[in-house]
Amino acid sequence: MFKKINLKGKTALVTGAGKGLGKACAIALAEAGAKVIILSRTKSDLDKVNKIIKKTKGSSQSFVCDVTEPEEFKKVLKKISQLDILVNNAGNNRPEHFTKVKQESMEYLTDLNMKAAFNVAQQSSKKMVKAKNRKKIGGSIIHMSSQLGKVGCEGRNVYNMNKFGVEGLARGMAVELAPYNIRVNTVCPTFVETPMVKKFFKNKKFKNKMLKNIPLGRVAKESDVATAVAFLAAESSEMITGTSLVVDGGWTAQ
Amino acid sequence: MGIFLKEINLKGKTALITGATKGLGRGTAQAIAEAGGNIIAIGRNQSELNSLAKVIKKLKVEYTSFNCDVNDYNRMKDFITKLKKLDILVNNAGTNIPESFLNVKKSSMEKILNVNTKAVFNVAQLCANQIIKLKKKQGSIINISSIFGLVAGQKRTVYSMTKFGVEGLTKGMALDLARYNIRVNSVCPNIVLTPRTKKYFADKKYNKYIKENTPINKVVTISDVATSVTFLASEAASMITGTSITIDGGWTSK
Repeated sequence: MFKKINLKGKTALVTGAGKGLGKACAIALAEAGAKVIILSRTKSDLDKVNKIIKKTKGSSQSFVCDVTEPEEFKKVLKKISQLDILVNNAGNNRPEHFTKVKQESMEYLTDLNMKAAFNVAQQSSKKMVKAKNRKKIGGSIIHMSSQLGKVGCEGRNVYNMNKFGVEGLARGMAVELAPYNIRVNTVCPTFVETPMVKKFFKNKKFKNKMLKNIPLGRVAKESDVATAVAFLAAESSEMITGTSLVVDGGWTAQ
Repeated sequence: MGIFLKEINLKGKTALITGATKGLGRGTAQAIAEAGGNIIAIGRNQSELNSLAKVIKKLKVEYTSFNCDVNDYNRMKDFITKLKKLDILVNNAGTNIPESFLNVKKSSMEKILNVNTKAVFNVAQLCANQIIKLKKKQGSIINISSIFGLVAGQKRTVYSMTKFGVEGLTKGMALDLARYNIRVNSVCPNIVLTPRTKKYFADKKYNKYIKENTPINKVVTISDVATSVTFLASEAASMITGTSITIDGGWTSK
């Protein structure tokens, strides 16, 4: 009756896998038995993740790749033979008040969080639908969204725009890829203890204010999010598509 | 327990399940027991409670049953306030009488409302108070909702009224219970093939309606729902509260 999270025989590609959530997802998917393809712009980060996966007796392969360069990503896809799961994770944020957002920040964030997310998802989907047995074995695409893909927040207007967009993309993709039995979902975490958030939380006033918005009174751990991603990647969730798994300690329930 | 992949493990936990004799409730009891959890089954059919005992005891966990109508507040209260162990509630008992809005009988409306809303509230309140009284460090409540808690469906006005209500209750409870580290979520399945819904699937027109609205070309199984409930019940979902897992093959993503 209960379907365990088991990814044996599956190949998963994770973008932004050098640090933070991407790294955690890559390791979690490997722990669940998947062969993991990890992408990042920084080779030394990839080496570290490879080492951890090796230690846990998992299997991984890494590529240095800037996902905002579609041609670079295409080359990576050509080098891998199988793809069943995509964790579309690479993303960034630069908090600025709406009236002060620099044109350059808006374009940088939107190019990475939306355009690159779209391109990576589209190219990966093209590869996934080519597998002859796809309908039978299924596929799963997980976009790393955010609670800020559901609600607004101060200084997060560009990030809000990007992540609400990703939520829309996921639903559209879910409808179009359903005939191939490829499921598409998002994970919407609250603030997670990652290098990116640690930087924001150096501002203690901001940190306390944000914690007050999380009813459970704690930030999420990387493992909380990575486990949710693994759940959506596996057949445990084989009828879950076009929706979000919100991992926010109650933030958006208010 | 991995580095980033949390195990779905309910060893040592005790779950109370309403409407446990049939369909989703029975499947969920089985899934939770497979994950190591002890079962307290509430239902109105003694022979089915007995046959469930056999299934659960085979899984080497504790089984208690109580033959009671969830609408019988006094008996439910008497039973729940005496429980020595309680960590999880699966608030599953529910009913439906499909009628088009103009023809909904007053008696149907009241029956559905009593079971799906009032009893759901009462059982949740009794169990939350008991979990707090037992000084548990964590708890998890899962309300069985429906896609009709998110969108409308044909001949589902009363059902939608009650399930939208359950969605609201879930979020409100999540906020009030967060300080006790009791998480509250719902699952929103598409129409699942169960003994109760068999007649809907037998209706050709309705069957077509379901098929046309479900992008993933499969019917949601009891196991699909029971797996999500088990995930939410476990500490693998320790930052998930005040939200829903939608298990609908894409129905509500359109």
